Amino acid sequence: MRLPIARLISLLVLIFISSHPSYSNIESSEKITSGNSGFNSQVLPFFQNYCVKCHGLKQKKGGVILENISGEMLSDQDKESWELILDALKHNEMPPDDAADQPTKSERLRVVNWIELELSDSLKRENNKEKPITTRRLTNFEYENTMRDLLGFDLKLSQYLPADPVKPYHFNNNAGMMMIGPDQLIRYKEAARKAMRSAIVDTDKPQIHRSFAEWDKNLIENNGLSQAEIGVYQGPGVGRKTFGIKSWPQTGEFKIRAKASGVFPDGFNYVPLRLVMGTDLRHDSGSGVYQEVGVAHIRNTSKNPEIYEFSGRIENIPIQPSIKHRNKTRPPSITITAQNIFDNGELNDHRKSGFDASWSSKAPRVVLESLEFEAPVMDVWPPKHHTRILFKSALRKEDENMYAYQVIERFMKRAFRRPVSKKEVDHYQSIFKLYSSEMDTFESAIREVLAMVLISPQFLYHTSIKDDDMKSYELSSRLSYFLWGSMPDNELSDLAESNSINDTEVINFQVRRLLSDERAKDFIKNFTMQWLSISKMKTVNINRDLFPRFLYTVHVGQRRGQEQLFRPTIRDYMIEETVGFIGEMLNKNMGIMNIIDSNFAYLNEPLATHYGVRGVDGLKFRVMPIRPENHLGGLLTHGSVMVGNSTGSAPHPIYRAVWLREAILGQEVKPPPAEVPALSDSAGESAEDSVLIKDLLALHRNKRECHDCHARLDPWGIPFEHYSAVGKYQPLVPKEGIRVRGYNHNKDMTRSDYEKYLKSINTEKVDASAQLPNGPSVNGMNELKKYLINNKEDEIAENVFRKLMTYAIGRELTFRDRFEIEKILKKLKVDGYGFRDMVIEVCKSSIFR
Amino acid sequence: MKYKSWQINRRTFLRGGGVALALPYLDCMSWGKAKNADTLPKRLVVSYIAYGVYEPRTKDGTHHDWNWWPCKDPGPLTFNKSSEPFAPLKGSVSYLQGLEHVGGLGMGGHSSGDVFATGADMTVNEKTNNISIDQVAAKKNGHLTRYASVVLGTEGGTGAYGSAKTLSHYGPGRPIPSMHKPQEIFNRLFKPYAGKGVEQVRASLKRESSVLDLMLEDAHRLKRQIGKSDQHKMEEYLDSLRALEKRVERTSQWTHQPLPRVDTKGLNLEVSHKDPEEYTRCMYDLLYLAFVTDSTRYATLMLESEHSSGSEMWNYANYVLGYKGATHDIAHKRPPESGKWDNWRAKQHAYFLKRMRNTPEGDSNMLDQTVVLWGSAHPHASHSNKNYPIQVAGGNALGFKHGRLHSFKGKSKMPLANLFTSILNAVDVPTKKFADSTGEISDLRS
Repeated sequence: MRLPIARLISLLVLIFISSHPSYSNIESSEKITSGNSGFNSQVLPFFQNYCVKCHGLKQKKGGVILENISGEMLSDQDKESWELILDALKHNEMPPDDAADQPTKSERLRVVNWIELELSDSLKRENNKEKPITTRRLTNFEYENTMRDLLGFDLKLSQYLPADPVKPYHFNNNAGMMMIGPDQLIRYKEAARKAMRSAIVDTDKPQIHRSFAEWDKNLIENNGLSQAEIGVYQGPGVGRKTFGIKSWPQTGEFKIRAKASGVFPDGFNYVPLRLVMGTDLRHDSGSGVYQEVGVAHIRNTSKNPEIYEFSGRIENIPIQPSIKHRNKTRPPSITITAQNIFDNGELNDHRKSGFDASWSSKAPRVVLESLEFEAPVMDVWPPKHHTRILFKSALRKEDENMYAYQVIERFMKRAFRRPVSKKEVDHYQSIFKLYSSEMDTFESAIREVLAMVLISPQFLYHTSIKDDDMKSYELSSRLSYFLWGSMPDNELSDLAESNSINDTEVINFQVRRLLSDERAKDFIKNFTMQWLSISKMKTVNINRDLFPRFLYTVHVGQRRGQEQLFRPTIRDYMIEETVGFIGEMLNKNMGIMNIIDSNFAYLNEPLATHYGVRGVDGLKFRVMPIRPENHLGGLLTHGSVMVGNSTGSAPHPIYRAVWLREAILGQEVKPPPAEVPALSDSAGESAEDSVLIKDLLALHRNKRECHDCHARLDPWGIPFEHYSAVGKYQPLVPKEGIRVRGYNHNKDMTRSDYEKYLKSINTEKVDASAQLPNGPSVNGMNELKKYLINNKEDEIAENVFRKLMTYAIGRELTFRDRFEIEKILKKLKVDGYGFRDMVIEVCKSSIFR
Repeated sequence: MKYKSWQINRRTFLRGGGVALALPYLDCMSWGKAKNADTLPKRLVVSYIAYGVYEPRTKDGTHHDWNWWPCKDPGPLTFNKSSEPFAPLKGSVSYLQGLEHVGGLGMGGHSSGDVFATGADMTVNEKTNNISIDQVAAKKNGHLTRYASVVLGTEGGTGAYGSAKTLSHYGPGRPIPSMHKPQEIFNRLFKPYAGKGVEQVRASLKRESSVLDLMLEDAHRLKRQIGKSDQHKMEEYLDSLRALEKRVERTSQWTHQPLPRVDTKGLNLEVSHKDPEEYTRCMYDLLYLAFVTDSTRYATLMLESEHSSGSEMWNYANYVLGYKGATHDIAHKRPPESGKWDNWRAKQHAYFLKRMRNTPEGDSNMLDQTVVLWGSAHPHASHSNKNYPIQVAGGNALGFKHGRLHSFKGKSKMPLANLFTSILNAVDVPTKKFADSTGEISDLRS
């Protein structure tokens, strides 16, 4: 296989390797005597024979020195180092298979056994161990969800907060990442005020804002469609109708009623209508911001129009500010855009899109007869979220201070996720008094006080306080933040109050209940995105000469040739695929090895078309059985993974190798150290266009400073080579160095012309064979999967379990957690490592509790 | 319905109208009249570019047209194709070769950007980074302006250890999130009262000040209730609350000064990353506006982070040059476009420098009163983090002498922090030592 060497320059990284432990209990016939005597007589000689050549005072490979290591495990640092050694030996990663002297398996396992026992003993001897830090602020994800559940409606508040840090292959919900500074706190204050402004309404009934627009379904326009019809294409972007509204309330719920139906040419019976709201969406310049309001899946024909109702909060909608130009002023506005987002995966070529609206008449259309906007919704006034805080009571008139006290107390209890002391409430009561003396209305004073509750550390932080009565509340919170990313609901709070949450059976039941709730989807998405580090796939720049039909592109204007905006894209669907796949595994308690291979895929129609799977209709995702010729199954070949770990033109074997080792095998791959020259520096500039990728990778491994890490990295990425930069199975690729003729939409007009074009550029067979480190040689994805399934199940299960645990408790695991994890994994193995079982076991563990 | 004629982009406006901004002329003029350079504001800016620069060599030993460095040998500057946008600014720029922060060496090329403005020893002593140059200045002189400093970036937030999205830090473990949304930056800088009257704002600030006092008390109580190892986390919160109190006080004092009149005319505050030139210039324009109104004197701008996959930065080189790969790759793979990419970045920075130079202040101009550091901690493709690409511009009225390429290679190792010490002293922040500095950089400023 030949691919530009250029693609590899960025791959030329030196990577140091360490690894996480894995579970398996090794029985050995002769045990090494415990303590120093065993260390001196057998362990030290083992190191001297097999390890110190590379890990001595001279070479110190990977920064590991075993030459004068002590057998005592006294300090935390000692124990950490010993855990690293233990895992390297246990997983048979060390010594590497190219080392001259190799220990026998039993020699190795005896040392493994000695380390395990010593480490375990040393933990038992600890008396004054340092507690890990668990106090951390809510992530923006948790903050927004918590506000939603606390207030009873959805406000997109995280957009006002500084973006949270993210780190590839790490979760960000830990103390180290979740910091607070004055700038963060100011944003919290502003967001809290915004939230309270929305949650508590003024006493006067507000004016209702209404707007109405209609389109004539009998008036036929030049393009052959009626005025009310929305085709799949319009101008440079997705087909749409827009409606500008000029007046709306500052806060409150809005409703939009759309009178709509569909026109379905032969073979179609459904069309999706999506409403978004925001500023003008300008496909040519790319400017515009919007919020999706909803998608209606239309199946009724224009003879029977139906009313589809959409709703949302007006606060979440971006507003087009007033613009002054010359002497005119355009007032602020909000644009409702109704889109036809029909997509069967077949529309994304140049011929059908662009200004050629004729194709619109061959695809399903939305008939939008009218749109009616109304806000605020006044079905109940004052709204529920208001009376939830300012509950109805005669007390308000009789004793306003007392009433305020109760309002504050109720709110605090929920915001703090625990009971509050009189002292704490008094504190906010005094703030109330300060405000109420100066402010015109009770409502405005209460808003301010409650906003202060929302910037208190008790609200913003996960804390654990030195009070045993609070333990059950903290456990309730841990459960809900793990599985919902939000505060506990009434049932969890009640269990905390009655002190009955800390019970294995109760936890078992609650985890199942929480997982079956809609909110668990937030957990699945947040966890999956960070675990698999896939968000970067959204910005990989796809080479359209090589993959002409992957993206929907703009055909005119400044952004000609670039991806269409303001529509759900195949990239969104790919992320949905991966998240939904994990969701399926969780709901059905599937065995963890389904992430390596499965007999199903999770697809919608555009994505199924992309992968070449037949029989999926519509945008909704579903479980599809798959066949071997689909070359799918498991997570490894998901578009989200393949695209994110490609260059946009070609696969990126090193990125993919890092992904496999970090996300799936749970091995930490260290970034390239500075000051190691890139290969190109030594190979010379002329090498850039002359070396084959495999040769380059080989060169890479033959250079001394690259070898140690890359010999154990690159082979993991090569078996992915059959999967192209857009995640399609593609055994033929373009020849190295050829200039690919640009896809020509005049010449390559029909589907068969397009296939011919691809054939003409993709001519070289891909070589996907690699010699795995300390393992066999594998050729392609199927063999890699087989190897992982047969040899790495325990390691992979341990990794996923540790990832879940880390996410659940909001801190990195240490050697102190090791033995309990081993114990749980032993139990999970018996039942085939069910994914939901894993989640339940996390919550039942003493580490979590 | 279309409102096309309303949507005028800034470039069109510039072409058509000539003057880009409706400036707050009053403030601007008042600086213009002040004769004494000492009463003029002295400013500093740090601006960062990532993923390395192109440093090719020719076979015949001449200087490569597309090398980031403008010329080969130390001495008077000549400009090649890469650096050509700076040619008209020759008397205002210097290039410094052979400098780096030793503290970042252990971090790897993609992480040493963390310490570019701090010089902290992140691998050994200061796991949590340390105070940045702009904040040292802000501590000393920040009270002179409405905002002690302005911290901008293109991705926003603080980022994580090893992948910072900000250049600025108050101190160890106290990164300052960068702001990256033009509209928000504009509002925070120039419309801080959100449409409310001054009296109303003052009254609410007064209330807030007493409330924050109470909040502080309560937070202290909580701190006592939590475990020892978690207390420093609470300290972080308490610090922030105290800072907030101070800021309320400060905002309150500044309500007695009229807000500058700044118009958004010609500024496209809704610009998206899909148009990198427009966006980058908008960020520079906002900085310029902050300076011209003397809203602040110290600013950092992280134009690119070293970990931008997942943000639109990743596609900048594609949007700008049509390059078929990630912005990261244009640095690491060295395609022919690499030089053009450097040239594009140079153009944007030169635009900013020129705007300042064209703004009279006292006997000279704004650029002469402002030291601008521009560069990267990631010199080139090999993940090296030695020999940073460094350009210093402006500050001619503050003692800086320009127009040369200086090389510090080979001499007894001079820390980059020496330059920082010089810059701080130039902007009236008397400093003996910054990070690992050993003195000043006398070649540049005497």
